[in-house]
Amino acid sequence: MLIEFPLKEEHKIMIDLIKEIGETYIKPYSLEWDEKEAYDATPIKALAQADLFGLIIPKEYGGLGFGTFEMCLAVEWLSYFCAGVSTTYAASFLGAYPIILFGSKEQKERYLPSIAKGEKLCAFALTEPQAGSDAFAIKATAKKDGDFYILNGIKQWITNGGIADIYIVIALTDPAKGARGASAFIVEKGDPGFVVGKKEKKLGLRASVTTDLIFNDCRIPKDRLIAREGMGFMVALKTLDYARCGAGAQALGIAQAALEVSLKHAKTRVQFGQPVYQFQAVSHTFAEMAMRLSSARALVYSVCQYIDSGAKDFSGASAMAKCFATDQAMWITERAIQMMGGYGYMRDYPVQKYFRDAKCLQIYEGTNEIQRNVIARELAKWIKV
Amino acid sequence: MAECIFAFGQCFEGKLHPASLEILTPLREVADRLNKRLILIGLADDKEKFLAIPELKKLLADEVWYIIHPNLKHLPDDLCERVLVYLASEHKPYGIFFPATKKGLSVAPRVAGSLQAGLCAHVNAFEVKNGNLFLLRPTYGENIIAKLTSQRLPIMATLALNAFPIKEAEKEPLIKELKHPEGFDWSTKLTIKNFKPPKKEPSRLSVAKVVVAGGMGLKSKENFQMLFELAKILKAEVGGTRPAVHAGWVEADRMIGVSGVSVRPKLYLAFGISGAIQHTVGMEGSEFIVSINIDKEAPMMKMAHIGFVCDAPSFLKALLRKLKAKD
Amino acid sequence: MGRIVVCIKGVPKPGTVKVDKETHTLRRESAELILNPPDRPALEVALRLKDQTNFEVIAISMGPPNMVPLLQKVYALGVDDIYLISDRAFAGSDTLATSRILAKALSLLSPFDLVVMGARSIDGETGQVPPETASLLNLPSITYVKELRFVDGKFIAIREDDFGEEEVEFSPAAVVSIVPEIDYVRPPSLKRLLSLKEITPKILTNAELNLDEASIGLSGSPTQVADVFEKTLVSRGEIFEGEPDELAEKLIEVLKEKGFLA
Repeated sequence: MLIEFPLKEEHKIMIDLIKEIGETYIKPYSLEWDEKEAYDATPIKALAQADLFGLIIPKEYGGLGFGTFEMCLAVEWLSYFCAGVSTTYAASFLGAYPIILFGSKEQKERYLPSIAKGEKLCAFALTEPQAGSDAFAIKATAKKDGDFYILNGIKQWITNGGIADIYIVIALTDPAKGARGASAFIVEKGDPGFVVGKKEKKLGLRASVTTDLIFNDCRIPKDRLIAREGMGFMVALKTLDYARCGAGAQALGIAQAALEVSLKHAKTRVQFGQPVYQFQAVSHTFAEMAMRLSSARALVYSVCQYIDSGAKDFSGASAMAKCFATDQAMWITERAIQMMGGYGYMRDYPVQKYFRDAKCLQIYEGTNEIQRNVIARELAKWIKV
Repeated sequence: MAECIFAFGQCFEGKLHPASLEILTPLREVADRLNKRLILIGLADDKEKFLAIPELKKLLADEVWYIIHPNLKHLPDDLCERVLVYLASEHKPYGIFFPATKKGLSVAPRVAGSLQAGLCAHVNAFEVKNGNLFLLRPTYGENIIAKLTSQRLPIMATLALNAFPIKEAEKEPLIKELKHPEGFDWSTKLTIKNFKPPKKEPSRLSVAKVVVAGGMGLKSKENFQMLFELAKILKAEVGGTRPAVHAGWVEADRMIGVSGVSVRPKLYLAFGISGAIQHTVGMEGSEFIVSINIDKEAPMMKMAHIGFVCDAPSFLKALLRKLKAKD
Repeated sequence: MGRIVVCIKGVPKPGTVKVDKETHTLRRESAELILNPPDRPALEVALRLKDQTNFEVIAISMGPPNMVPLLQKVYALGVDDIYLISDRAFAGSDTLATSRILAKALSLLSPFDLVVMGARSIDGETGQVPPETASLLNLPSITYVKELRFVDGKFIAIREDDFGEEEVEFSPAAVVSIVPEIDYVRPPSLKRLLSLKEITPKILTNAELNLDEASIGLSGSPTQVADVFEKTLVSRGEIFEGEPDELAEKLIEVLKEKGFLA
């Protein structure tokens, strides 16, 4: 667009690769997946063979050892082609982060190499029917029984439910201690007492899979505990701090696609004897879209770089990136439909899909209302009076 | 020396591939002009079935030579090569020609390699000048035709499919069985474990009376799909250009042109087809050609009996709307 | 561990081709090269065998020095080694001379179990090189293969033939050509893409191949181009311009007149 963000050679190579994957394995099919609400494993296989599941996995475990910035660039450009596919991809990182950040050496050796190769997908399970924004209200329990933990409870709206092999599950080991009594566990597909619930029907992100997870006396070895008992929310919140930029990056990709498609339309659609772009009401809308997208991108990129520079506490920063970028994507995709008129509303054209996909970004990985709470809380810490 | 021309008669289970009949039409002319004997070479596993081939007595060839061996049932490429190379070294033909069937394209290069001969592919016309034979083929995806010669004998080529009409002879050819010498190596390194006749009906494209074809000017797979609607209304078959096939808009068996299908319908409708020669050689025999193209100067617009200067997808949409409204 | 050699070709990007007016051959130096599209499925077949049976996969290509970036891209797909067969003496080779050069290069890379090629190139369209090379190496050739497995030391191929589909069993070594209609081809690997600067192909010139110059290049090619001519077209019909609706109406009139529409 109007700003070329300075990127290193390796970033350009990666983006070109993702564009090649997008053009070949995603673009021709994305409207069909959306229409049929179908998950297709082909683009995931292509991403795996391209090493892209290894992006943030440390080199010693077979990954590329990249940081948040590279993860976000990948997610951004995948989302440009299909935010449903990028949700499957990004949610897998959400499940991988707890092992990377808090896993023991044994856990890393056991899980990270197959995650890096994309042989195993991950999922992250925190939300429950009564515990959405109020995450501390979870009821799922994990009771120690000799060398095992016994898990009971239900997790709701879990991305990659059923297609993932590795699930990070937050459950209460000591309900009496409340938030400090939660712990994080690794549950594997096929563990006894673990079943996947029905697939949800969604407004957008329909190429991705969302299900309940049901734990009914699910028995797992005690070495599946991540970090220590009581660290569950610490693991979850830190993971979300990292992953939030990913949601912001998805917003950038969707908004970019919406802007491109609608701008091309406005420049070729003739009404009243001229391309509609010639009308100021239209062209000014595009000027506004471009400014909003560029500022969102600048914010997401700089937060990523802040995180990768080794920042310790970046909850407020990543909340800003997620909240701002996803709000802009919602505005831009809505305007893109308006700029295309009836064409934007028809399901033969992709813009209505961008709009429906963008809506979820304001809700998941912490609603934008919760993000504003986080930002406000961090701001209050900054100026002490 | 060099007084005969071999034509490969491809047969399987008592059926002669029609392409083997097609190639006899131009070769008959070539043989007459150069004063050579035209010989169809048939390789088969079953003598009775071979001799029962109905077309055999009406072939344009002067002679039919056949070789029978059980290992020739599936015409294994390596054994076919050995048999033909043996015949070529015995009889020193002026030329050896194959139909551009899969079998022809697989065996001919092996024979050419063994004989150190040149081999031209997809030849669709011949020229005889001063006792020399020239082979013509479209080339390079541009509007260029190459005229080829061979520096050595035998001259070898594979001949484009559907490029020549099948004709019948008035007099019966001489049909004789050839026996290979004792100790001839009949082995093959290929073992056929299983054979299945084709699953899907072969496309009726090559014999269609009406063909609607599309090229890159249709801009997308969705637009290309509209051709099938039009085909239903016009009782036509759908064809595509090479780039449209490569773009995945239509299956490969509907490709018209070099290494695809040749058509000669009564009506040919070209939507967004510029008319690269690789395509036009496959449809230039059409009786009435209609071209819809945004570019007035496109070769297809010049070939057409009627041309419409128009964006092909918009035209197609308008046409379908009107045709459906009339129903 | 067995070895598979994949022969690939750079073809001019459609629309960028120039023909040399003197020799009537393609001027490859001037054209922008892309990987011959049917070679990608051929590479995929080889790489799947590598995934399953741990074959070493080598990609070789005959062509000018501007093939190097293409070979690097092929390396990024997962092959173990890349070779460029390049010499001015090879220029102008027809399929026989090309097959001689490839056959010699392959013999330098022997022992191998399998040679894999695309069914045809989109510029020459002949499809002759795989069987012709096989013939010169005295190996069996299996053309139009759409599936290939390696079981108990033997290959089993599903191939298309004129009268149906064959399942063919053969022992190494052999040459196969692969039809483009394959369900999936892998993308390049990011790790390999990031390491490409350090990867250069090994070069084989005629100093290594040591072929008689009379058997290669233009002089070693029995097939000679006597002439090329452009097909000139003179407009023979009527041309109409206008809005889609009126033009479509006009066509319907014509189709009715000619009896193609009731």
